[in-house]
Amino acid sequence: MGDSDDYYYGEGTMDPLENAPEVTYNWMDITSDFFKYTQELQLGELLHDGHLFGLFEAMSAIEMMDPKMDAGMLCNRGNPKPLNFQQSVESGKIKIDDLEPSELIGIIDATMACIVSWLEGHSLAQTVFTNLYLHQPHSIPNKPLKAFCIAVYKLLDCIRDCINKAQVFEEEDFLPMGYGYRLGSNPQSGNTYDASLEVTEQKCISMLREQEEELNKKAKSLEDEGNNVWTGLAARIRFTRMFYQALLLITKKDSQSGADCVALLNGCSEMMKVIIRTAAKGTQAEENSDAPNPMGFEPMINQRLLPPTFPRYTRIKARPDALQYFDSLVTRLRHAWKITSCTNFHTALDFFMDFSRQRACILSRSALQLLYLSPSPAALASMVQSNVSSPAGQRPQQVFIEILRESIKSFVNPPVLAKTPTGANPPAREYVEKFLARCVRPFAVLLQVSGHNRARQRDKFALLLDEFAALQEEAESVDAVVGRAAGGGRSWFGTWVLYHVLRVMIAYLLSGLELELYSVHEYHYIFWYLYEFLYGWLVSALGRAESLSGDASRRSEKRSGAKKLKKRARPYAREALLCQVLQNMCGGYYKALVAFKLQGKIKRPNSRFDNEAVRYKHRFAPFSVLTPPQVLYFEFFEMTQPLQYENPVILYLGGCKHFQQARNLLESITTPDQEITDLLKVAKTNFVVLKLLADGHKKDSTTPPEFDFSVHRYFPVLKLV
Amino acid sequence: MKSVQEPVDLRIEEEQGGKAKLRKWLNMNFRIEMTDGRILIGVFLCTDRDANVILGACSEYSKNSDGEAEEPRVLGLVMVPGRHIVSIQIDDTSPPQKHYYEMIC
Repeated sequence: MGDSDDYYYGEGTMDPLENAPEVTYNWMDITSDFFKYTQELQLGELLHDGHLFGLFEAMSAIEMMDPKMDAGMLCNRGNPKPLNFQQSVESGKIKIDDLEPSELIGIIDATMACIVSWLEGHSLAQTVFTNLYLHQPHSIPNKPLKAFCIAVYKLLDCIRDCINKAQVFEEEDFLPMGYGYRLGSNPQSGNTYDASLEVTEQKCISMLREQEEELNKKAKSLEDEGNNVWTGLAARIRFTRMFYQALLLITKKDSQSGADCVALLNGCSEMMKVIIRTAAKGTQAEENSDAPNPMGFEPMINQRLLPPTFPRYTRIKARPDALQYFDSLVTRLRHAWKITSCTNFHTALDFFMDFSRQRACILSRSALQLLYLSPSPAALASMVQSNVSSPAGQRPQQVFIEILRESIKSFVNPPVLAKTPTGANPPAREYVEKFLARCVRPFAVLLQVSGHNRARQRDKFALLLDEFAALQEEAESVDAVVGRAAGGGRSWFGTWVLYHVLRVMIAYLLSGLELELYSVHEYHYIFWYLYEFLYGWLVSALGRAESLSGDASRRSEKRSGAKKLKKRARPYAREALLCQVLQNMCGGYYKALVAFKLQGKIKRPNSRFDNEAVRYKHRFAPFSVLTPPQVLYFEFFEMTQPLQYENPVILYLGGCKHFQQARNLLESITTPDQEITDLLKVAKTNFVVLKLLADGHKKDSTTPPEFDFSVHRYFPVLKLV
Repeated sequence: MKSVQEPVDLRIEEEQGGKAKLRKWLNMNFRIEMTDGRILIGVFLCTDRDANVILGACSEYSKNSDGEAEEPRVLGLVMVPGRHIVSIQIDDTSPPQKHYYEMIC
């Protein structure tokens, strides 16, 4: 995936061709001959080595002197040539000492804007490293600036480490390339490695802390007017330190760091308030300039490090937006931290899904992965695959196995996992252990996938279903073995896996709605599938789980004789209720859509060119490997055939009833969150719309209804135009 | 392989004068000066009636405003329109690199 960074180092450094051997040529002019000879060619005739080079190859050539393709053209080459750090200092273009606090604030804020642009998927060379101060941080006499620049190096390294570990990014999310800037250990660009410039994490932190105190003293010594500027500067240095420390704790997570990290992130939030308030005190970017700050930034400085066809420059994020981004980033990290208190795998998985729904940024998504499992779900999954059997490799796996074991226990509570297993013989237990080990990879990947950006999740879910299909088979055989041993088998493990499979299937189908992949004329079978099968199955899986775990508690009651009635009062009641709500909503949509078709409100493609069976098969293709098996098109056709002759009014009324039912169920939830409120709004509106339609409103109109996804990403509000 | 090569050889013999000479230059190093003063060095791969030239594995050598040479920039495959060509030089000593593509593959 994204590990194409580290070995790129040496190549793209500041002077890459220094060591190349000198080539000598013996040039001989052939200009006039050449032009004379080419005149002998026919118009349109190409002279080329027919076997090795043809028109096809010619297509990919860069056209010189074409302003769009030729980055080296005069008009594209920022004139005058960009000055590097040394030249800028000599020419007095940038100050490296006696900087005004406002200038420092400007530089720091602009750098933060660059970091944000980097985190949004642009290259380091065109964002953060357009800051000349970062090219030679050790040559800066100004202490706060030097400390900041060195800290930026460390911070970038830490961010990259975090994102690389989590492996939840794709090329559109993040560019990990370093372009020869040595992030981390030795903050200095170029080939020259100088051990004396090595800065450890501790050193970097103490440098920042020192400057923080210095600046705070200055802030206190001055009266109100100047006060603000120094306080603003101190806040920035303090933020940098705390943010760096917090990220370090997240990336190199150990058990004691909990309270520290929360305190640090809270501190970051406090500082961000001051930073945003004092943003106007800093020097601002000049109008119509590409540089994010008047001093110290050179947008074209790294152009030579980039491939010839790279975009010429990156628009750096506007400063107020960037600061806002940092502020919400800290909030997101604080939220992500809450995963550490999710002990139950199911709650954790819900947390992951919920976090993803908020479309969090790449850094917070990665942090969430690392916070839940160390080193990361991705690392765990690949460990299993490469069969690492060293003790170091086993430990994280064991942690995850225990989490999964607990999850099964609380979900279905099979007797074989009870503290004093009844009737479970050693082979059965061993069987279960093997099964748990097999679960590690699919479930770790499930967590990893939910960390990816929304658009990428869909395909990854489809791939994941293959692995779950294999797991389902194993779960069945484990159930059989355990059941034989216990005398009378139940589908403990099967139910647990099925529950997760169904959730992935539902997520897969729904993501198509969110990503707007389906055409309106396809909606009816998508909603039909969800309504008729998936949600129904999910409700029954939850019911089965409940009765299975109920069996177990009755077992233990019998044994202990104690009366612990209703120890756990239906733990999945809310989830089952929500499933029923969604099932009803899907039913409502389905019936409404069929009625729309009958009234000619939805255009259907000519089946000669766009066959519904083909589309149907494609839409549900990933389900073909699973149990329960994919519902095939002819089954769909048979099952829905009677509706074709139904009166649309009856269908509208049926849909109306479904939304009514959904609404009643939703209103019975005592503590509604945002999700519930949104769903309620959709259900209420659609209820009214269908009621109108049933009463014959716009009966003869063939204008298609609108599906408005602005209230809820999966469940649209129906609108009649 | 042989059977593929033969017709080409025949064709070269058939071609007279200019075309044959151009063909001889294929896969050799060219140094092209463009109208804006930049120098391109690369392997000659293709041309046509308008003297548009395609160079493979091409590097660009440019001078800054003070006339100092800058670091070369690797461009890869480029097409130079004939109207932008000021001069063409050929590297005479280097033994003809027969198969540019075999080199890079």
